[in-house]
Amino acid sequence: MNKKLTFRDFSIGIALVLVWIFFSLVSDTFLSPRNLAMLSIELAVTATLALGMLLVLLPGQIDLSVGSGVGLIGGLASVLVFHHHWPSGLAMGTGLILALIIWSLMGMLIIRQGVPSFIITLGGLLIFKGLFWLVIRNATVPVTEGNTVNLYAALTTYYFPAWTGYLFAFLIVAASVILKLRSRRQRIQHGFPVEDGEVVFLKLFVLAQAVLLFVVVMNRFRGIPLSVLILGVLALVISAVTRHTPFGRYLYAIGGNEEAAVLSGIPVRKVVIGAFAIMGGIVALTGFMQTAYAGASTTTVGDLMELDAIAACVIGGTSLKGGRGTVMGVLFGSLIMASLLNGMTLLAVSPEIKFVARGSVLIVAVWMDVAFARKAAVAA
Amino acid sequence: MNSKDSKIILRIEKLTKRFSGVVALKAVDFESQEGEVHAICGENGAGKSTLIKILSGYFPFGSYEGRMFLSGHPVEFSGPADSERAGIAVIYQELTLVQEMTVAENIFLGAEPHRWGLIDWNRVYSETGHFLELFGLDLDPAARVADLGIGKQQLVEILKALSKKSKILLLDEPTAALSETEVDTLLNIITGLKEKGITCIYISHKLDEVLRIADRVTVLRDGEKVATLKTGETDKGEIIRHMVGREITQMYPLRRVSPGETLLQVANLTIAGEGRSAPVLENINLELKTGEVLGIGGLMGSGRTELLMHLFGTFGIRISGEVRIRGDLVRISSPLQAIRHGLMLVSEDRKRYGIVPAQNIGFNISLASLRQFTDGILLNRNREVSHNQRIFNWLGVKAPNLETSVSKLSGGNQQKVVLGKGLMTEPQIIFMDEPTRGIDVGAKVEIYHQINSLTSEGKAVVLVSSELPELMGMSDRLIILSAGKIGGKFDAGEATQEAVMRAAMAFH
Repeated sequence: MNKKLTFRDFSIGIALVLVWIFFSLVSDTFLSPRNLAMLSIELAVTATLALGMLLVLLPGQIDLSVGSGVGLIGGLASVLVFHHHWPSGLAMGTGLILALIIWSLMGMLIIRQGVPSFIITLGGLLIFKGLFWLVIRNATVPVTEGNTVNLYAALTTYYFPAWTGYLFAFLIVAASVILKLRSRRQRIQHGFPVEDGEVVFLKLFVLAQAVLLFVVVMNRFRGIPLSVLILGVLALVISAVTRHTPFGRYLYAIGGNEEAAVLSGIPVRKVVIGAFAIMGGIVALTGFMQTAYAGASTTTVGDLMELDAIAACVIGGTSLKGGRGTVMGVLFGSLIMASLLNGMTLLAVSPEIKFVARGSVLIVAVWMDVAFARKAAVAA
Repeated sequence: MNSKDSKIILRIEKLTKRFSGVVALKAVDFESQEGEVHAICGENGAGKSTLIKILSGYFPFGSYEGRMFLSGHPVEFSGPADSERAGIAVIYQELTLVQEMTVAENIFLGAEPHRWGLIDWNRVYSETGHFLELFGLDLDPAARVADLGIGKQQLVEILKALSKKSKILLLDEPTAALSETEVDTLLNIITGLKEKGITCIYISHKLDEVLRIADRVTVLRDGEKVATLKTGETDKGEIIRHMVGREITQMYPLRRVSPGETLLQVANLTIAGEGRSAPVLENINLELKTGEVLGIGGLMGSGRTELLMHLFGTFGIRISGEVRIRGDLVRISSPLQAIRHGLMLVSEDRKRYGIVPAQNIGFNISLASLRQFTDGILLNRNREVSHNQRIFNWLGVKAPNLETSVSKLSGGNQQKVVLGKGLMTEPQIIFMDEPTRGIDVGAKVEIYHQINSLTSEGKAVVLVSSELPELMGMSDRLIILSAGKIGGKFDAGEATQEAVMRAAMAFH
């Protein structure tokens, strides 16, 4: 909590500001309310998947199959809705349960048979891609029938009315103030060092400003997108899981020193399988949002999203060796990735260059992770 | 033995090596003649391995004080490559062969002869065959190393060293993992090397072997050279006396607890390691009562750690025997079950099995006890921190607060954190494997006091230690393991260092 800030902590923020300054200079529309609303929906999709990836990376595993999984589960739900006329809630529920089962099975295969997750999920990437194309028969399958609106489509097309936005803003700021004061009181009680009162006030003030600004900008388009609320709730849940449950602590312990975790009586297998199961649920959620955002399931939905998710995690300070990473970092990393992709689309950058750019960002992010880890090792 | 005019090939003068305040070697003089087998004996921690590491260049010149001469010329190794070039080869306990390669490939690894830029496989195999013949070994140069027994692998390792035209072989416990016939073959080869003018520095706990093949033996104790003896003029008893000859100082606080009911009973326990057919531990019987410290001694590799790890559910396959806790038959197959039965293990290797270095002290202390602190599914941070704080204060961990990263602590304080993690599970029986290894004297005494305050609360401790004085000073009773069997049992009063050493060698 009160650790000294390093260059690494600032580097994310600096990178984000640079990306935004660049795109706002070269594109008139980057900072328009409409584009910022689109960017926040794209952020919601990217960050949702990245939060799942965080849970898998923390215990030192990896999941390369999530991009294909996003396409498959989203496509499955579309087919059930469009071709089989299922209610969208039921279709999505089915997809969710299927994803939970598939990812639990993958987790078991990885941890019980000792096959590296890299290989299992690389296989999964190909298998799910094939199944996906089989399920949608290489066609375009809309998420709704005709022009009707269903829950599925609403995931990325519903916006909250303006007054709810202000209500959310108020609730968020109020909750932050209460939690911050409570944690501060407890830290004083336990004799831990606490921040200056003024610094706390300043931080909360900046937060309130940022939240209010966000709501005002979103309301100038259509309001707060539903998908942003979904991301917010998910981020809160994952943050609570990683910081305030034994399961979350175990994820860090397994990634930090697996043998010590075993000797501490941690059910390592169950925990890792659990992480993969949650990943499955999040893949389904991302699948629905991403497919809904595209309006229909097409063969390219979910392509390379696993790499964006991993890049977002690593940019946000998650270690690929496990044991290190935070929800806040992943949100920032996702914002950088989403901003880059959004900005390049606005500039009509050709797909070829987009691939090169995405790949470069991934390499630079991982290289920085390794370089910082080495520096830290030398310092210690 | 060679004639009188035999040359001194290796000489060391006033060698001193310090590790952050701890002196591992103290002004050691040592010399070896050409073609001699010179054994080095000493208790665990006497400085043998440090000496080997200096000779092999692992600790470079400048990291120690003193001088080293080869054939009369001073040498300054800056790394293992230098010592190899000077003709020194080391055979470690852990083999360094590539399992998937053939014997010949291994022997020439990194020194493959080539023609036109391609490896000259004919020469690799023919020279290996020639080599094997020279030493009278019945081995196929094209055999895959993984298919050979561990003893044959050891021989390949030695051949690999000899193929580099080494003049001096350093052998660190080469027979630890070998069967009796394999030991015979190895010892014959070493004897044969003598005639070829190759010098062997031989480190071993096995005094019978030492007396059989060595010309001279140098005994180290607490980093000092105690004696160099001719094997023809000494015996096992004298060597052991030199190895242990020191007084127990009053480091060990007295304990006044009378043992109560029986907590742990182990009967006729025989365990096999994974992937090995020979039992690691054979026919082990022991009993532990409340308020008692049971010491388990023995040399490295005698099965002490394996015994604790097995009882804790993380090692080996039980072939026979039973374990009872408070009279109930138990079968523990994971640390989680062990902890639920009131057992806790404080491991000897705290870096590997103890701490999660990237996290802070609080995270580590409560890691094994988080279920105590949940309300529903969420952790109650307040309660957790209060408990952590209590343990932190009680152990006297020297750090600003619970949020200090464990990687920033000294060894002794890390050990306290690991101990704290164990104690927070509120165990009845605590296994401590070398709890004071690598920590300074002050911290040691603190750990001894903590052991005593645990037993005064009616808990029981099983203490494994390589330091005889510690073992004898702290334990109510002693069990000495020797090659996986019980070599002797002693009550606190009746054990002498020599008797314990003899028991430890009983099955060697």
